[in-house]
Amino acid sequence: MHQVRLQNDALMEIAMFLVRRWSGRQDMTVQISDRVGTRTRLADGKVIITAPGKRIGDDFQRYRQFRVSLWYESMRARHCQKILSNDHAFGFILNAMETRRVEGLGRRLWRGMDGEIIFNYACMLAERPQLHSVYGSARIVEAFYQQFMFGTIKGEVQASRLEKIREAAAHACDVTGQAVREERSTKWLESHVGKIIRILDIDSLMTVPVSLPFMKAGMALTEEELRRIIKIVADNREGDFGSADQDAVMKGESLHDEYQILLDETQKSQNKGLAPEPVGIQTPLAGDVDETAIYDMRLIGGLKTRMREWKSGWTEQHVHAGDEFDEEGYVEGGKPFLTDIRKSIRTRIVILLDHSSSISSDALEYKKATLALCEVLSYLKVKFAVYAFSTQNRTIVCWSVKPDGVKWNRTTARRLAQIVANGSTPLAEIYDRIFPVMQTRSPDILLTLTDGEPSDPDAVRGMIKALKSLGISMVALGLGPNTVRATMIAGNLRRLGYEKTVAVSRLRDIPGKVMGILQA
Amino acid sequence: MTQYLDWNNSVGILEKAYEAGLFVIIIGPKGTGKTSLVREFAGRKNMKLESINFSLRTRESHLIGTKTLTDGTVTFEEGLLTRSMREGSMLYLDEINAAEADVLLRLDEALDDRRQIVLKESDGTIVKAGNGWFVVATINPLTHSGTKELPPQLLSRFPVRIRLEYPPEKTELEIARSHMTGSHDEELTQAVRLANTLREAAAVEELFYSPSLRETIAFGQLLDGGMAAREAADFVFGNVYAQWGGIEHQKVSDIIASMFGG
Repeated sequence: MHQVRLQNDALMEIAMFLVRRWSGRQDMTVQISDRVGTRTRLADGKVIITAPGKRIGDDFQRYRQFRVSLWYESMRARHCQKILSNDHAFGFILNAMETRRVEGLGRRLWRGMDGEIIFNYACMLAERPQLHSVYGSARIVEAFYQQFMFGTIKGEVQASRLEKIREAAAHACDVTGQAVREERSTKWLESHVGKIIRILDIDSLMTVPVSLPFMKAGMALTEEELRRIIKIVADNREGDFGSADQDAVMKGESLHDEYQILLDETQKSQNKGLAPEPVGIQTPLAGDVDETAIYDMRLIGGLKTRMREWKSGWTEQHVHAGDEFDEEGYVEGGKPFLTDIRKSIRTRIVILLDHSSSISSDALEYKKATLALCEVLSYLKVKFAVYAFSTQNRTIVCWSVKPDGVKWNRTTARRLAQIVANGSTPLAEIYDRIFPVMQTRSPDILLTLTDGEPSDPDAVRGMIKALKSLGISMVALGLGPNTVRATMIAGNLRRLGYEKTVAVSRLRDIPGKVMGILQA
Repeated sequence: MTQYLDWNNSVGILEKAYEAGLFVIIIGPKGTGKTSLVREFAGRKNMKLESINFSLRTRESHLIGTKTLTDGTVTFEEGLLTRSMREGSMLYLDEINAAEADVLLRLDEALDDRRQIVLKESDGTIVKAGNGWFVVATINPLTHSGTKELPPQLLSRFPVRIRLEYPPEKTELEIARSHMTGSHDEELTQAVRLANTLREAAAVEELFYSPSLRETIAFGQLLDGGMAAREAADFVFGNVYAQWGGIEHQKVSDIIASMFGG
């Protein structure tokens, strides 16, 4: 279970990056799903994509299909005005035509996709059902889809029907070709779907049961079989793609190195994953969270600027004996030598974030500030871990946002973004849950950010004492709506036995205060 | 020598500032042609150009000068600032916000309305700036490593501020083309689009590095040398991200693959 999650982390990181770059929309999110077929929700900026494991072929071939699907969905997000449901004939036909339209528009810029698109067509064709297994009018729609997309059909249909299907597919090809050439919109294309439905002589609202995403999941394809299908697709679609190097399409060498890197990274993560997962701590797993909402670039930029000296790592200092003689220093009577001194923050810190209900009114600001803190800690290469706690389904949950040894990145930011502030402040219980981690990792500082008094002060006192006995410096940051309240909270926290307590009344000051604690 | 492409009329603004006796600061990210612009202007005006590239190691003595022993006599060897003032030439202060505060203070003295500097390092002589003395400075945005905020009093000595951003796609294409001998328009257009895609990602901190105009030009030059477009894209744009780990590298490699194929 642990391995699967880590593998998805790397995939998710890349998928999110690619979708945002390809679609040109920074607000896009991706959800990798094992249960539903690939689709895009334009209004939410969300791509739900079938996991590679639910595709056909070997692992590399599955990754290639996954990547092309992402590209198509990104092109939809970029060029489509609306996406209808595939469940009825009208939407199914429009979506098929839209696929060809966005493909044509997308290929103008993303010219390296041709080979991968052909490969994906071959896999799609392999996945489509034989026509004899589709019953009723749905067979006509499926036959139209196959003829339109691949230039061929799998199986047979009545001769009279076949004529209509070919006519409809040819008309659909003409219309989508014109849409690409003249850069027509979804609405324009939609106005032509009626004619295709009339040619096919079907009901536009008839149900289409042929969308069976996982029917052949995991099916292996022999090399000969794949070669044969690639040849069919490449020949039939030569008008669109020109003469493709079928051998190159088969091998997909342009992606092989990248895939290898992905495997290596997954391997590394899996090795790290051998460490036991602490009991009672959960990882927020929803991947389809838009973390950009909590990125405050001005705050992060400002902090990085302020901390730049620490980033550069080296500072000059005048000394009595050193590497370089400084004439001016000598003439001025000071220490005449210059030496470079490495500046770095070696302190290892664990941050515990309170996400109780009292923070919910300022949850966004709070997350922005804590995210900025994590960004700057990562920028300065400080070793840190982040945990948070909240109440979910009436149960206290301790969340592992960024465990020790994992890089801070968009995936960890997404974990922070999805925690919903709720519940009370049972600090002692949370300390108890993270105690085993503290025992094994023994950080220098355990910093608790909280805006209220814990519901169990006596137990907290005991836990703080126990944590201190591990050699951990216990620090608390009291968050209050104004200076008076913040100071009062900090004062109360001090009485619980923290070595240091700091008051913060403006959430944006959190990162600065924490950096101050680290530099002290 | 390649002709400078003045796509946003920066040379014209420099010209007007020069005529009005106002100093200029150019603000923009790396590789947007700040230095090329200054060189072009000096060339057009036929002025001598004194340049200094600031770093943490730049000392007052580099600007003002220092006493030295020549043939048994103590003489004063002028620094760039002093020489430029005396000669009334053009002084180019590159990446001025990388300098230390004490160096900036001496600069401030020279740049104020009196346009003079007291050589306290020598015999206290007052050096007055010659006619036509013109100073242009550049600063990289604060996100650039090693840069600091410029003190406001010094910033006010440069009342004309030119913002030099990455040029529009067509202009960047034209600039890169002017550095090439062969014709590779299609590949070059893709490279410019790639550079812009990566810049967009870097602007929202999804990537740690933003490619400059220099990269696009280098890409074109590798094509001139007979390298394939995909390979050149990997060498110029892609491989740099490997330093931040495999995933970062793969993200960019994927974008390159979708633009240039195999």
